[in-house]
This record gives sequence, C-alpha cells and structure tokens, in this order.
Amino acid sequence: MTFLSASAAPASANPVSVVPTVAPAASAMVELRAVTKRYGQFEALHRIDLSIAKGEFVTLLGPSGSGKTTLLNLIAGMIMPSSGQIVIDGRDATGLPTNQRGLGMVFQNYALMPHMTVFENIAFPLQVRGLARSEIKRKVTDVLDLIQLGHVAGRRPRELSGGQQQRVSLARCIVYNPALILMDEPLGALDKKLREQMQLEIKRLHAELGITMLYVTHDQDEALTMSDRIVLMNGGRIEQEGPPDTLYFKPETVFSAEFIGSSNLIPGEVEAVENGTVTLRTALGRFPVPAPDRPVRAGEPAVLLVRPENMVLTDRPGPTGVTGRIEDSILLGGVVRHFLRCADGTTVIVQELNQPGRAGARRDDTVRAAWSVEHGRLLPPPPAR
Amino acid sequence: MTSSSLSLDHSSAHPSAQSSGATSGLGPWSAILLLAPLTLLMLGILLYPLGLTVWTSLYDGQLSVRAYGELATSTLFLKVLRNTIEIAVTGTLVSLVFGYPVALHLAAQPPRRRTACLIMVMLPFWTSILVKSFALVAVFGNQGLLNQLLGYLSGGQVNLPMMFNRVGVVLGMINFLLPFMILSILGSLLALDRRLVLAAETMGAGALRIFWKVILPLSMPGVVAGVLINVTLSIGMYITPALLGGRQDMMVANLVDFYTRQTLDWPAASATAVVLLAISGLLVAMLGRVRGGGLPGGAA
Ligand SMILES: Nc1ncnc2c1ncn2[C@@H]1O[C@H](COP(=O)(O)OP(=O)(O)OP(=O)(O)O)[C@@H](O)[C@H]1O
Ligand SMILES: [Mg+2]
Repeated sequence: MTFLSASAAPASANPVSVVPTVAPAASAMVELRAVTKRYGQFEALHRIDLSIAKGEFVTLLGPSGSGKTTLLNLIAGMIMPSSGQIVIDGRDATGLPTNQRGLGMVFQNYALMPHMTVFENIAFPLQVRGLARSEIKRKVTDVLDLIQLGHVAGRRPRELSGGQQQRVSLARCIVYNPALILMDEPLGALDKKLREQMQLEIKRLHAELGITMLYVTHDQDEALTMSDRIVLMNGGRIEQEGPPDTLYFKPETVFSAEFIGSSNLIPGEVEAVENGTVTLRTALGRFPVPAPDRPVRAGEPAVLLVRPENMVLTDRPGPTGVTGRIEDSILLGGVVRHFLRCADGTTVIVQELNQPGRAGARRDDTVRAAWSVEHGRLLPPPPAR
Repeated sequence: MTSSSLSLDHSSAHPSAQSSGATSGLGPWSAILLLAPLTLLMLGILLYPLGLTVWTSLYDGQLSVRAYGELATSTLFLKVLRNTIEIAVTGTLVSLVFGYPVALHLAAQPPRRRTACLIMVMLPFWTSILVKSFALVAVFGNQGLLNQLLGYLSGGQVNLPMMFNRVGVVLGMINFLLPFMILSILGSLLALDRRLVLAAETMGAGALRIFWKVILPLSMPGVVAGVLINVTLSIGMYITPALLGGRQDMMVANLVDFYTRQTLDWPAASATAVVLLAISGLLVAMLGRVRGGGLPGGAA
C-alpha cells in the first residue's frame, strides 16, 4: 500500500503528540485498570481490567446493556470513569479530553458530516492536523482508492448507500492513521450480505495497516469471524476473554457456553472424582466427564456441556448418551439439527452434517444421541438469580 | 398596513356568525361551512382593504403609476427607505449576535432547564410592545436607571443618550426580535446530531473548529430563517421608531402614517404601503424556501 508507507512519517508531526508519562507497559495499546463506571446507584461497569496489545483485533461481545458501549466511550473519553485508570499507548489518559487521545472511532450510524462531501469528510481529520493542501488531496485520494469509492468523492453522504457510507466513515478513520480504532457496532445497520463483505474488508484493513482495533458487537458470528480475541461481557463485568477458539471450545461458565454457539446443558451433581474423570449424576443418567482445571468435590452441583455438533445419533451402546424422541428436525443448508425430547422433558440438540442421500432419522423416531467422553465439559452451576 | 381602514371594516365583518349552527355535516359541505366564517372575516378585514389600498395607489381620477413615480424621486421616501433598511439590518444583526450564543446555551441545557430558560426568553414576547417601550425608556432614558448609575459612578460626568435616537430604536427592536431569532436557531441546533460533534472530537478537533466547521454550518437553516423573520418583522415596525426614535429615525410605516394624517396624500400613502408590502412579501417568500429551521408560529 503506497498510502500506508506515505502516512507513517507525518503521523509524528501530529499535533496530538504522545508523551509517555507512565512507565511503558510492555506493548499494550490500551490498558484499563480496575475501571468502574457508575450512573447514580447503578454500576454499568464493575472494576474492569483489560489489556489490548498493539496490533490486536479485540471484540467486545455481550448482550444488550452489558456495558460494551460504556467501555468504548470510556476509552474514547466521551465519558469519565467513576474510578480506575485508563492508559493509552503508555500514557495515562484517564482525564484526557477526547480530542487529545489521538484515536479513531467508527460510529454505528456513521456520523458523517451531512454538509460536507465525501472528500471533505475524509479531509476533515487531516485539516485538524494541519496538513498541507496537496498532502491532504493525495491522502484522501489514496484512501478513497483503498475503499474503492473514488468515483463518489464529490457526493454528499445522503447520496450514498448504507454500505458506501460505512466505508467512508471507515476511510475517515484510517486516513489519519490513528494507532487505535474503536468501532461500536459499525455494521449493525447493514443487511447480512453487505455485513459479511464489510467484515472481510475490515479484517483486510486491519491486517494491512496493523492498526489496533477494538470492536463492539452483539453478534457472536461476527465476533468469531473477526477477532484475535473476544472479551465477553455480562452485566458490567468481563465474563470470559480469550481467542475465539477458546471461547467456543472451552467456555468457563454456562453464560459463555450459551452466548457463543448453541449448547446442550445437562445439570447434575458430582458423584465421584478419580483419575481425571468426574462422574456426574443427572436426571438423564450418570456420565463420565473430563475433570476441569478447577478443583471439584463430590456432592457439589455442576453442569455438563456438550455442543450439538459433538453429538451423534447412533445405535451402539456407550458410557455417554441419552435416549429421546425426535420432535423436530431442521435443515440449515450444510447441517441438520434434530431436537430430541428426553424422558424427563429436557430437549437435546444434535447436529449432523447434511449429505446427499442421507438416510437420516425421522420425526417421532426414538433414537440415542451419544458423544465421546472428551467432548463433554464440566461447568460450574450458574449463579442463582 | 393602513390602520384606519382596519377599524372601519371590523364592524362590517361581524354578521358572519350566520353559519355557527351548521357544524354537524360530514360531507364536503362541512369543510366549506367550517371555513366560511374565517374566510369571510379575512375577506372583509384583510383582502378588501388591501385591494382598496392597491387601488388607491393606482387611481387618481384615472389609472396611473404616478404615485410610484413620485415616490421613486421623493427624497423623503428614499431617505426613509434607507433608514428602514439600515435599522432593520442593524437590529437583525445585533439580534443575531446576541441571540446565537443564547440559543447555543439553551441547546446545551437538559430539557427541563431548557424549558425554564425558554420561558424567560419568551417573556418579553408575551408583553405588550407599548409596555416594553415605556419600560425601556425607564431603563435607558436620559433620566433612566442606567444613566443615573453612570452619573453616580462618574460624578455626573457621563450621560449617554440612548433613547429617542437610532440606539433607542435598535434597543427597542432587538427586545422584540430576539425571541424569534433564538427560537429559530434553537430549532436547528436541537436537530443537530450530537454524534457529529463527538465524531469531530475523536478526530482531534478543538471546540472552536467544531463550532466553525460543524455546528455553525449545520445551524445555518435556523440562522437564515431567523434573519429573514427578523428583517420582515423589523421592516414594518411602527410603534418602536415612533416611541423610541428621534426625528431622523422615521421608518416606512411611520411615513405611511405621515402621508395619511399630516399631508392627507392618500395615493402616496397607499403606494408606500404597497412597496412595504411587496418587500415583506418577498422576504416571506424567501423564508418559505428555507426549510428545517424550526420556525415559531405566526409573526406579529
Ligand atoms: N447515561 C446513562 N445513564 C444511566 N444509565 C446508563 C447511561 N448510559 C448507559 N447506562 C446503562 O448502562 C448499562 C450499559 O449500557 P451500554 O450502552 O454500555 O450497553 P451495551 O452493552 O452497549 O448495550 P447495547 O448492545 O444495547 O448497545 C445499561 O444498563 C444502560 O442502561
Ligand atoms: Mg451499545
């Protein structure tokens, strides 16, 4: 990218210069230390500790009201924390006004200036930085090429489609090469197809430009597709964080398991722990489960997680399996999902690959769904509400 | 407009109470019946005298535009017209300069506070212009509060003539014009998406740049509407220049009064009134083309 190498130099001539006043914290781009945000009595965020490495793509995922936007706005400086510390690029930014944080933000509804053309919109942050006219023209043209929108430079935002507007708002951000870009559900207003296209585009930009990105979404698929790391939020706290694989295959709580992917959760009580295997007694039978990292004792309640795709319909007997009647089967293109109703009323979901000429089980058949022991995962019981 | 013909026709418009019992119909007739009283009233007190005025300006024994020709060469009329435009533009600009910051402040308040503050803005708006004029004399007159204070502070050295001159007219005028300006700009400011300001901030823009590049341009519809309303209102001012101005501050409406009552030159009075109406009409037409600047309701 010619645009990339060219923009590296003037970034240092930026009026928003970065002066380290805190001991450089390794290579963290953003560091939150015990950040709490209260609105009156209500705690929107509770003692959040979070570190984002330079160049990382981190997604904040969580249900509505879990505090994602609040966290993002705290980093952007649009709201101030009630307590705790925010360090951006090694500099304490806790009380710093927004316009001195030197970051970029992409808004859900684009927030393009309606009275400016596309060109002027993208030129705006460069004018703020006092760049020469010719320099501005070159950079804006380069970035317009990058997002393939050179032909609409003279239009007003309202004359663009939603996807085009979103690309312009992205361009307006990357044109001044901020070290950190925050995005709050930037694709929320787009249809599915356009969304997937934009996801890939954002990923490509991230890979090419090496900008640290903090991305908010409540769409788990989006989070799984795009992130180096997912931070799962729940009620103002971080429920779990880790690479997408870890969150999917090694959820640590029932909340994580339910929020990401679909899951079969069978509650029970630990009967015995021996040789790295836990025996769980449930309403559907006794099942061996690999012992988790945390210590477990006999007699305590626990929940068994088995992902639907790890279940198979089989006739062969084994230590792990449940029997039920197929209530419904739905076709999802490449896969089929069976909903089994077990004797005690629990519903178990089994997901199989769909193949041409699949013989398949039928509705109302009574079948056995089994899983290999190592695919089971023992979770602590959800906190009582 | 000529106030004498107004009072004349008021009595003749009264018998229009004839259709008051006919509101029960649901067909197309009901609309006609419901609108009839007001339509008749407007015909009687507005269109008829207006037509009469235009007619008078064009007819002196025969149809001619002589009255207009005379106006075009009359030094008195041209001087008064220049006065009027100067005063209207000055008043409007002063009102803009004072009104914009107030609107900006109001827009930044939480809704409850804003409502309370708006009542204060509207207070002079609800007060009779006559009462306000005398109140202004009490404050700004030669023996007024302000001059007494200045005299006290300077040991009798300073006495600023602020009434019965140009300053007095503009003071009286902005008192009347400000609510229109403020409401009009406030409408635009409230319609402005706050996230645009936040976006500009994240891009590093300071408060001043955000004002010049984002807030001001986006509030322009309100500013233009406010300016047009103000000019329209001030160009037809009658009481304020009569009460608070000096001899040099005669405005077009006062000239109409002068022609009708002092020189009894009805064609000249009518032609002057028609010119004033045409200018106002033009401004109102321009106002109609400015959309999006939340306009307050009917003007005085
Ligand atoms: N200004 C405010 N005053 C009071 N409470 C607030 C305020 N802003 C946010 N909250 C509360 O803080 C909590 C977190 O809000 P936040 O906007 O961060 O949620 P979110 O995770 O972004 O949700 P969504 O996915 O719906 O955007 C919510 O319960 C919300 O009601
Ligand atoms: Mg949100």
